[in-house]
Amino acid sequence: MKPPKTTIDLMQGTLSALVLKALSCGPLHGYAVARWIEQVSGEGLLVEEGSLYPTLHRLEERGWIRSEWQRSATNRRVKTYSLTAEGERQLRAELAQWGRFSSAVSRVLRSRRTRPA
Amino acid sequence: VSAGTGRPDRSFGGRDIPRDVEDELASHLEMHEDELRARGLAPDAARRAALARFGDVARVREACRIIDERIARRRTRASMLTMVRQDVTFAIRTFRRSPGFSLVAVLALALGIGANTAIFSVVHAVVLRPLPYGSPDRLVFVWTTSSRAPREPLTPGRLLDVRTRNRSFSGAAGISHVPLNLTGDGAPERLPGSSVSSDFFEVLGVEAAVGRTFDRGEAGRAVVLSHGLWTRRFGADPAIVGRTITINGLPHEVRGVTPRDFVWPSITARPGGTFAGPELWVAARIKEIPSPPIDLDEDLSTRRQSQYLRLVARLKDGVTIEQARSDMEALAARLAEIHPDTDANQGLTVITAQEQLVGHVTLPLMVLAGAVIFVLAIACANVASLLLGRATARRRELAVRLALGAGRRRIVRQLLTESIVLSLAAAAAGTGLAWWAIGALTALAPMDVLRADQARLDTTVLAFTAALAVATGVIFGLAPAIQAARAAVGDGLNEAGRASDGPRGSRTRAGLVVAQVAAALVLLVGAGLLLESFVALQRTSTGIDTRNLLAFDVFLSGSRAEYQRLQTEFYDRMLERLAALPGVVHAGAAVTLPIGGDDFGASYIIDGKPAPESGQEPRAGLQIVSPRYFRTMGMRILRGRDIRPSDTREAPQVALVNESFARIGWPGEDPIGRRFAIGGAPNRVWLTVVGVVSDIRHFGPAEPPRPEFYRPYYQSSFPFMAVVVRTADDPLALVPSVRAAVLELDPALPISNVSTMEAHLYRSKAEPRFLSILLGGFALVALTLAAIGIYGMMAFAVTQRTREIGIRVALGARREDILGMVLRSGLSLAAAGAAAGLICAALLTRVLRAQLFETSVLEPTPVAAVTLLLLGVAAIAAAVPAWRASRVDVVRALRWD
Repeated sequence: MKPPKTTIDLMQGTLSALVLKALSCGPLHGYAVARWIEQVSGEGLLVEEGSLYPTLHRLEERGWIRSEWQRSATNRRVKTYSLTAEGERQLRAELAQWGRFSSAVSRVLRSRRTRPA
Repeated sequence: VSAGTGRPDRSFGGRDIPRDVEDELASHLEMHEDELRARGLAPDAARRAALARFGDVARVREACRIIDERIARRRTRASMLTMVRQDVTFAIRTFRRSPGFSLVAVLALALGIGANTAIFSVVHAVVLRPLPYGSPDRLVFVWTTSSRAPREPLTPGRLLDVRTRNRSFSGAAGISHVPLNLTGDGAPERLPGSSVSSDFFEVLGVEAAVGRTFDRGEAGRAVVLSHGLWTRRFGADPAIVGRTITINGLPHEVRGVTPRDFVWPSITARPGGTFAGPELWVAARIKEIPSPPIDLDEDLSTRRQSQYLRLVARLKDGVTIEQARSDMEALAARLAEIHPDTDANQGLTVITAQEQLVGHVTLPLMVLAGAVIFVLAIACANVASLLLGRATARRRELAVRLALGAGRRRIVRQLLTESIVLSLAAAAAGTGLAWWAIGALTALAPMDVLRADQARLDTTVLAFTAALAVATGVIFGLAPAIQAARAAVGDGLNEAGRASDGPRGSRTRAGLVVAQVAAALVLLVGAGLLLESFVALQRTSTGIDTRNLLAFDVFLSGSRAEYQRLQTEFYDRMLERLAALPGVVHAGAAVTLPIGGDDFGASYIIDGKPAPESGQEPRAGLQIVSPRYFRTMGMRILRGRDIRPSDTREAPQVALVNESFARIGWPGEDPIGRRFAIGGAPNRVWLTVVGVVSDIRHFGPAEPPRPEFYRPYYQSSFPFMAVVVRTADDPLALVPSVRAAVLELDPALPISNVSTMEAHLYRSKAEPRFLSILLGGFALVALTLAAIGIYGMMAFAVTQRTREIGIRVALGARREDILGMVLRSGLSLAAAGAAAGLICAALLTRVLRAQLFETSVLEPTPVAAVTLLLLGVAAIAAAVPAWRASRVDVVRALRWD
């Protein structure tokens, strides 16, 4: 019914970066963040959704995101998160770092083995 | 850092974190379930799938809760800090607006807090800090007791008995005080030293800072140097350890140096002796018995007559001081049985090291501590009364703030913050004051107050000051703050503009003024009594003409020291030379210098009278003197003759006695030609009285003359003497020629302790002077504060009553009437305070009893004098506002709202 998926244990830092990225387009509640990650990663990155919440709370503690209780369309009490100015700075920093890291890794992975002459 | 500034954020109100976490996670699961159901899953399957996808709910819940609680705590702290910062900023702004009030309040409190800080630093340095020994609370001193004195030194025999037969001590070391001559490496010096049992430092629990201390059962000549001597004389050279130095002409190996903070005074049976502590320690060489001042270099272990040993001991683990006491009592009883002719009627007693070393200063220091607490209390009352007055004036402001929605608690907190800001500012100023005062205090403190010179503003003292400042702020601020908040609530805004003080407020202020006056009077009475006592002390003659009298010590060494005949020959030649110096009137010598020096004593029996039981013999001061000693000191020979060179060892043994001795020994009879004996049975010496000499106060003016007898140094002499030189002019001007004259006779002979008798006399009064100057100073501060209090109260009352005064004047009251009215109400407050103060003083001055010399605890003259002083100052303080009231402009007064 579904394509086989592998649950990847994401490193804490990576998950934080994903959450910040998720919130960069606007306020979301935790469930929406989970769905967004699922969608944009093409369901390639599968997190155990529960682990998202300690991450959200820790990001709030660091002041990168803030939370607010709201009524949802279905009149549910939901907690939505949004990025703070500091969070945006953090996201930019992480993106830059990730870019450097991944291009370095791909250079290594794509290089042909050459024998020393 | 804080998120959601300005936005309603109910998630972290600290309300219910577990519920919020629960809700958040539940909403996630529900939404997921909904979505899965919408995709066609059965409710059960949807639920299971959502849960499976979510993971361990309980663990996530717990993790979130912990983080949220941390956030909540941090936010609470931050918001409290913000609030405090706001309050403080507001308080500072308020004080800037009324600089006069702030200055007076800060000054008054600074005096109080500064005085407390300074005295606390001394109390802390001297009494509260543990003594610098290992487990100092386990350290005790052992003394002999008898009907003659509560504490007497031990004999060598008794020292050994305590060492070997006790069941209470893990160690017990003997101590004797011996002056030591240090020669070689620089000028010869005579230093206060100590001979001790080899386990002395072990008993104290003190390790050497450099090298080591003595070995157990030390047999060689070994010495441990004090840190001070090591630094001063040997340039703090660590290589000194193992070297040999010459002490009393004999080589001693340097074992080590005591730690820098090690303090050890001379141990006296009468606490508060003014001798300096030892600068070096030599180990006892024979059977652990410290040497007497004249080292006989022989086995003294069977001697049960000469009492010269002090004993310090360490309690065994688990043994209480009471157990040690009964152990020693039992031992003393046993010794009395074994040695009936020497140890009968003698007990042994144990006191704590704390009592021995600082016991005598504890009470005076507590008196000073009490005095500064009074000063601070007066300052508090003063500022509280100022604040009450201000609160009246600020009623409109407070009412506005209440109307704008500030709670009553918020207002009280704001006012309390103001008080604490005030007292912290005062603490800062007071610490500066204390820094200066501590310098003065340590310079003025009597020498025998151990570690007084170590008083300083360390962290403990500063913490005390900070705590005191906060407590002070709350004490003087709380009542006015509550009253102000209450009044502000009571008043409507419209009424609040009138600066009228309610009856309750003015009653409280009057009460505060009365309390200030009362407390000030208590201090004044105490200071007055001490001053009276000090004046009495100043007036008391010691029996010595101390003007133009130079004193110094000589200490012989080598062969000269060993033979008494050579000693006396040398002394005779020295005194002859000194007397011949230009500017010298007379010269004499005695083995111990009155007032500034040591004292020797002996028990005696009178010929022809029934001998008292052993141990009950009367004791008298023993002096060994040169001819013309009495004339040099300005003492009078009342009957008989002075000693003379013909009183040789071969001639009959003679003595002069003083008036007290004659009165006790031969009441109503002529003592000339009568005999008395000193010393125990085998070496008893009979002395024939050849003269009677006037009484002197050997221990200084505070102690009455004791019976004393004087032996010629031709018949018994010591290798050391105190030399006194009567000069025609300033005695200090003669020091160089005196020194040169002695060095000419013997270039290796150190003369030490050079000082005038006036200086010795001055030092002997150090403690009463210290106490009366300090208490006097505090009393004056208290008086000033109380005067400010009265002035403030009356000035405020006059302002309040301007309208009433105007009406009175308009109705024909004369200016004198107004003046009298205000003056009377001020003085009646002062009189009420004085009455209360006298009652308190009557209850409190008895703590001074031990400090008072020939003055009763309620001596009428000083009490009356200080009461009048207080009322006079109160009258002046009330007169200024009274005069202002009498000048009130009627027209303006009637318009006054």
